[in-house]
Amino acid sequence: MSRLLVASPARRRARLVALVTACLTLAPPLAAQQSVKIMGINGSWERYPSISAGLGSETEHLPPRPPDPIPEPPLKPEYLAAWREARDRDRELTAQGVPPVSSGSACLPQGMPGMMMATFPMEILETPGQVTFIQEAFNQVRRVYLDEELVAPEDAEPRFSGHSVGRWEGDTLVVETVGVKDYARFQNTPHSMQMRIVERMRLVNEGDYLENVVTVTDPEYLTGPWTWTWMYKRWPGYKIQEYVCEDNRYAPDDQYQRLQLDKTE
Amino acid sequence: MKLRHRISAAASVALALWVAEPAAAHHSFAPYEPDVQFQLDGVVTKYQWLNPHVYIEMDVTDEHGETKHWLIEGANPGILNRVGWKWNMLAEGDRISVIVSPLRNGEPGALLKALRLEDGRIFSNGGPAGPARIPWDQPKEATP
Repeated sequence: MSRLLVASPARRRARLVALVTACLTLAPPLAAQQSVKIMGINGSWERYPSISAGLGSETEHLPPRPPDPIPEPPLKPEYLAAWREARDRDRELTAQGVPPVSSGSACLPQGMPGMMMATFPMEILETPGQVTFIQEAFNQVRRVYLDEELVAPEDAEPRFSGHSVGRWEGDTLVVETVGVKDYARFQNTPHSMQMRIVERMRLVNEGDYLENVVTVTDPEYLTGPWTWTWMYKRWPGYKIQEYVCEDNRYAPDDQYQRLQLDKTE
Repeated sequence: MKLRHRISAAASVALALWVAEPAAAHHSFAPYEPDVQFQLDGVVTKYQWLNPHVYIEMDVTDEHGETKHWLIEGANPGILNRVGWKWNMLAEGDRISVIVSPLRNGEPGALLKALRLEDGRIFSNGGPAGPARIPWDQPKEATP
């Protein structure tokens, strides 16, 4: 009787281990992984500095210093020439009043990293284990899963926004992205499925601004990292609007308003 | 028709999906004359509050009694909401005035720069479309 009630220390230890193991096994797998850290970035944001009336709040912008312009992509020489040629041709056609069809004029979303430019305002939602970015432009949504393994690029189903995971380095949220569709191009820059985007986000200027240092690497197309900074400013109270780009004019004789991808008639 | 062909030709040349730094999220306003602006006074026949662009169709009757139908392109609802528009502030039959830049190809389409409602309220078309650069109600010879 007493032997049943009073287990030896070794047996007690074994039982404890079994109990803990059972608890961990029975617990929802996500709960153990969810990051509890909250950055405090919930809410609406606009691009800083605002580039044009109506794109942002038109409120007075105080520093931090605006980020530098995005540099030319460090493409390998064999790709850089074609990139510059396309850029010049685009400028020329635009000057002639016949701008080339773009992904935007075809109502395709920007994808990564272009969607983080915040052409229109964006909303950020911080929930346990996840940070979600909602761009007003093209109704784009991007989910960043915290403390998860990033899928291998060769296994990543190609998407406009790719696949993203995040982790904390101090007060900086580091987000890694792979799996961006090859034709979702930022600034017309070609990329392979080996492209990797690293974003380092942190609050600056007493938390009123969010800095996003973006670094793109791609061993196939780039000679080295392509880095720039985007800055966002809080816009308290702004409610993100709907943007269904496909809800367009489809009048069959609408010859001058709806740009179309090389449509055969 | 002509412009569509030109656009298609341009598209086949420029296969790349160019995502330039967008002044507007959807398409370029380059098909419109950058340096020409004039005023049109007329009656709204259609008002489409749609993404990616808002459209106003209007009938404009000239001093000889001839009526021309114009298609006026606006920015998107998001931009227009942010510069003070409302989705229901225009309706068929409203008398409006607009300052616009016309299409380069001479067709009766134009990019809105500023809108004046019957009650005198004036609205811009947001930053990407550019501001009105002429005053309202100039003498008639200033319009085509």
